[in-house]
Amino acid sequence: MRRRILLLAVILLLCAASCRRANRPASAAAVPRPSQYELRLGKEVYQSYCIGCHGDSGAGDGFNAFSLDPHPRDLGDPAFQKGKSNADLADAIRRGGAGVGLTSLMPPWGHTLDDRHIDAVVLYIRSLRR
Amino acid sequence: MTLRRLFAFSSLAFLIVLAFSPVKNALRPYRALQRQFRLEGIARASSAKASEMYASRPIAIEQIWLPELNDRVDRCTTCHLGVADAAMTSAPQPFRTHPPTFHTPQDIQRFGCTACHGGEGLATDQADAHGTSPDATTPILPTDFIEAGCGRCHDADTVRDAPMLSSGRALMVKSNCFACHKARGHEDFRADAPSLDTLPTKTGAEWLRRWLSDPKAVDANATMPNFQLTADDIKVLSHYLFGRTVPPQLQHAIDLAGAEPPGDSARGKTLFAESRCISCHTVDGKGNGSAPELGKIASRASRGWLIAFVRDPQAFYPQTRMPRYSFTDADVRDVVAWFEDELRDFDAPANILVPLRVNQTFAEKGEKLFKSAGCFACHGGMKEGERFGPDLYGTGERKATSLDFGKRTDLPRTLAAWLTAKISSPRSFAPGLKMPTFAFDAAQKRAIVTALLAIPSTPVPEAYHSAPPQQAAIVPAGAVGEIMSRYRCLSCHQVGSRGGDISTAPLTFEGSKVNRDWLVRYLAVPYSIRPIIAERMPVLKVSKEEAALLADAIAMIYVDPSTPDDPFAGRPASDRDAAEGERLYTTFGCRSCHIIGKNGGYYGPPLTETHARLKPGWVFRFLQNPQRWRADVRCPNYGMTDTDALRLTAYLETLAEAPAAGKVAAK
Repeated sequence: MRRRILLLAVILLLCAASCRRANRPASAAAVPRPSQYELRLGKEVYQSYCIGCHGDSGAGDGFNAFSLDPHPRDLGDPAFQKGKSNADLADAIRRGGAGVGLTSLMPPWGHTLDDRHIDAVVLYIRSLRR
Repeated sequence: MTLRRLFAFSSLAFLIVLAFSPVKNALRPYRALQRQFRLEGIARASSAKASEMYASRPIAIEQIWLPELNDRVDRCTTCHLGVADAAMTSAPQPFRTHPPTFHTPQDIQRFGCTACHGGEGLATDQADAHGTSPDATTPILPTDFIEAGCGRCHDADTVRDAPMLSSGRALMVKSNCFACHKARGHEDFRADAPSLDTLPTKTGAEWLRRWLSDPKAVDANATMPNFQLTADDIKVLSHYLFGRTVPPQLQHAIDLAGAEPPGDSARGKTLFAESRCISCHTVDGKGNGSAPELGKIASRASRGWLIAFVRDPQAFYPQTRMPRYSFTDADVRDVVAWFEDELRDFDAPANILVPLRVNQTFAEKGEKLFKSAGCFACHGGMKEGERFGPDLYGTGERKATSLDFGKRTDLPRTLAAWLTAKISSPRSFAPGLKMPTFAFDAAQKRAIVTALLAIPSTPVPEAYHSAPPQQAAIVPAGAVGEIMSRYRCLSCHQVGSRGGDISTAPLTFEGSKVNRDWLVRYLAVPYSIRPIIAERMPVLKVSKEEAALLADAIAMIYVDPSTPDDPFAGRPASDRDAAEGERLYTTFGCRSCHIIGKNGGYYGPPLTETHARLKPGWVFRFLQNPQRWRADVRCPNYGMTDTDALRLTAYLETLAEAPAAGKVAAK
């Protein structure tokens, strides 16, 4: 009897050990990188709505930039990127410049874009950091 | 004693076998994962209650059952426990929250997982569920091509939030894939390729040789793929093409045009620029690129052919998208004179436009090749039923084991790899394959493979099927219809669900948008409404009578019933309303995109002449919701109140200055 139990226990242990090892999920970084799809969507939104003033690379040099005073923000500027959280950026996009105490030349997009699009474009703006 | 030992041993063996099943069940990988999910949850829980919820989660198989989607059962959420759990955004896989999409997280219970992602929904083991082995029936869609999942239910050419799928579908149409391949929804496809009837008087043997060797090398805008023809193939094809009979009327027109006196090249240059030919064509790469490059046009086509063609392109090729400009005979001579002076290949040999003396034996061989290579699929009225390429039905569900990899032993045995190789170098699989080689770049290949992977073998059930909303496309018959056809309005403008996308202004509700008198003036002499857009309305030299007829028809037919004629409802706006509107114009920052007077941005149309151009009812409705008529309108929706929209309309209606078009365009 004791032998049987022992045998069973050994088999169980072996199985459990192998299963545990095989199925432990790979440890990931704390903050996930945005999926390719989100970046693609963000780029699509950026190129539709933002590029005219903020420019292809986000440097604030779009073709409409020269007619604007104050000048459009250089979105690639590392200091700017560091100083703003994703929520700050989303808020400025949603409520526009006037909504966050800046110029009304930056329009509010909250009625035009879904939250999802705004979040995606924020992720894309992050990728423009120089 | 031996018997007893035997008995003991067999009962032990029996017990082990008996114990195996529950042990195996207890050790299923998902159970370990679910226990781990508890820990992940507890670590991330923001409250004691949430923590308790994770801790008390039962260890059990989770599933989504979709009776209306062919009784689909998806057990993916057995391991992917956090897909709809916002606390799991930074959790390791398989627990991570699903990235936000149009359908997630709110629709997960409605669509399940495999409808979009593929994979084996019933499996609870990773390898089986993801279908990683080559003989898997439904392998999971690689994330590179994830938008193919959208396309399995969504039939529209442009699917919202699926940019890669949409561009793949557009590319397949532009590349004439459906000329050879059958595919659902493209049964009536006709390739947009020119008729070859007038080729013998159009070009020369040397030009044709260059074109047939590599169309893209001759013209970057070419949609014709490379058929990888041998020098012999090209020779016999040339003899066949130069041996074709030119329709007598066209031959006559070309001969007469060729004998005309020389034109004024300088005047032709101005005319060419004014006419905005590069709204469709390119010159040295500058322009829209949906029509042929003209930088070397005089070394591509003979003078007589060019003159006759520009005068009446539709006689040469009834399907052409090119309008028949109301040029005078001298206008066309002048433009072609400029082509001959400037737009030619200065390095080309002198014989580039010398036609071929046809050898009948070669021509007969060439005719056979024209058929066997499938040239007629694009260049000669292919009918449904004759399409010889493999059906594309079910492409997205083909099993990797059923694919013929031929010589391509280098490829991973997956459908995506096979499709990518097929559209990259179709002839590398086996000798004698017909499919020509297209010059797609990496992004275009990904887009097309996405579109191909989206083609299911059987359409999804009606409850899940999403067809594009069809908008009525009214194109009047009679005199107006003839004018619209002559000037090919629909090559650039949309009317309902029909028409091209070169113009940003659909005509569907144009009658409710612009004033009739303004439109008459505009049609006669179009100017740039949005200076930043390179594709401008061509100056078609529309006569005053034609312009009036068109404007009347547009005012009558292309009307939006929901747009009021008088947004002020009989109570005219006061000066105070207009003053309030002007204040709103500043508050909303409209001037960042629009010019009034001298100040403002270049993004939207100048508003200086609003009163003359736009109807107040339309302005009012536009301000309420700019995306109402066209989803991709860039003007933001300010969510303004009706009162504000009315005040702003009142202000814009006070702007009645004559257009400063010349100045704006010159700036």
